[in-house]
Amino acid sequence: MIRKALPFAAALVLALLPLGTQSTYLHHVMVLWMLYALLALSLNVIIGYLGELSFGHAAFFGLGAYASAILTMQTGVPVWLALIAAGLVAGLFGFVIGYVSLRIVGPQFAILTLGFGSIIYTVTNYWDDLTRGPMGINNIPPVTVPGVGPLGEARDYYFVVVACVLAFAYACHALMRSRTGRAFLAVRENAPLAASLGIDVFRTKLLGFVAATVVAGIAGGLYAHYLRVITPELMSLQYMAALIIMVVVGGRGTVVGPILGALIYVVLLEVLRAFGPLRLIVFAALLTGSVIFVPHGLVSLWRPWRRRADPAIRPEPAP
Amino acid sequence: MTGAAPLPLIEAVDLTRAFGGLVAVNKVSLAVHTGEIVGLIGPNGAGKTTMFNMLAGSLAPSAGTIAFEGRDVTRAPAHERARLGIARTFQITSVFPMLTTRDNIRTATYRTRGAGWLASTFRTAAWRRDEAAIDAVADEVLAFCDLAAQADIRADALSYGEQRRLEVAIALAAAPRLLLLDEPAAGLNPEEGQRLVGIIRKVRDRGVTVLLVEHHMRVVMGVCDRIVVLDHGARIAEGTPQEVAGNADVVRVYLGREQAHA
Repeated sequence: MIRKALPFAAALVLALLPLGTQSTYLHHVMVLWMLYALLALSLNVIIGYLGELSFGHAAFFGLGAYASAILTMQTGVPVWLALIAAGLVAGLFGFVIGYVSLRIVGPQFAILTLGFGSIIYTVTNYWDDLTRGPMGINNIPPVTVPGVGPLGEARDYYFVVVACVLAFAYACHALMRSRTGRAFLAVRENAPLAASLGIDVFRTKLLGFVAATVVAGIAGGLYAHYLRVITPELMSLQYMAALIIMVVVGGRGTVVGPILGALIYVVLLEVLRAFGPLRLIVFAALLTGSVIFVPHGLVSLWRPWRRRADPAIRPEPAP
Repeated sequence: MTGAAPLPLIEAVDLTRAFGGLVAVNKVSLAVHTGEIVGLIGPNGAGKTTMFNMLAGSLAPSAGTIAFEGRDVTRAPAHERARLGIARTFQITSVFPMLTTRDNIRTATYRTRGAGWLASTFRTAAWRRDEAAIDAVADEVLAFCDLAAQADIRADALSYGEQRRLEVAIALAAAPRLLLLDEPAAGLNPEEGQRLVGIIRKVRDRGVTVLLVEHHMRVVMGVCDRIVVLDHGARIAEGTPQEVAGNADVVRVYLGREQAHA
């Protein structure tokens, strides 16, 4: 009973969180948390469910951000349409890159994604005519909700982004209870055995990879229209690493883990702001410590949760 | 073979596989008919595993053809053969280690059952029906393979014998027409081996045809209707267990050696 009610209660608290404070600063931090949570959840599909490491995920976030910003500013399409386009653009790149790389597994795949991510970052940095290079794009129009008008405050954005996070988190949860989701885990656990059961390993991986990049693109679009300024730095190696930290520290293969990981990242980023680039050392230490001491992420510390939740969460062997 | 003979479930014709200069399997033909339990035996290096992998689709033949129910599958990848109804086990124990025994079996129903992601998102009636059906399959297969008590244990925590039974359970949950078993009794103690033989014998009653590659003579003699013997990549004998055991060539290349060791 409690176990069934808990996810709903958590979702409700998350949805109403900004009502607990008047501070626009805290609202801002909450929006960033949700944006990163959406991104981390999408990366979790690749790392947690498919079991492949991708270093290039921030590039798809950036592609979405740039696609949405450029589309709205140069063609005047409404923001909601541009957000869909952002997902499609990122997904198209995801399809091409995935099609080329996903036949390769393990560290080689991770390095390929790093290569593709770096190419996208570099092109964005130097294609001045389209992206304005390292200067970035500013004055990006805000999200406009039909019937409400343009969103002005961080709190309003929070409700939009949290809706996306909750919808996608539920979609992931549902995925793990479907034939498709079981195929994802089968591919992660044992690809030859998966193939022997009729699962097309390559197509399953491509499906998960493209879905993850579409969501990353939408997250990027939301980010662009929220901050209204973007630079190529959001595709840099620092962000790619940060995303992996969120997923691994929080708990890969779970729905709660990446959301928790994003919270830890955003809070640390703010708390340690005074330390400047030294923060990176803290993040690296966090990742190292987490891999050694809680290899299945912080969510694995909460035992009752993992006993009978997602099949993707690894239950402990019985004594 | 006469024209009146029924179409074999799987038929390999002149199957050949060379690794560089080494011809591991040389023009071996083999047919398995529906309802049979056929054993493929031979001493180490005879080409059994190569033959098995070509039938299962994890190794491409250099020459020859494979037909499943009269349909050419020589070039079909493993997952396509699986979709036609060919299930297999692996020589080295192969399960989904981080999933529970039950989830291993649930996952194996991929070929025949299960609603997609949209159906599970909206919890449609079709999805609920399918999940219930999958649970029923899992319960049945767990009982069939003596694994009911281990249902909620993670597969990597099972004993070796249990893992080997789980492999068979996974293959059966895929509801195959043909089950290819690659040395299922390898590494099992006699008691566990007997338990597995019992399960294989029962498998036929489910309407599943079995092709078994095996090294353990006791297993093959006890369970197979017909045995094909390979040596140095060529077929040297075929017949009932009694015929094969009495065949001078077989005794020379295989049984004699085994008896000498025993």
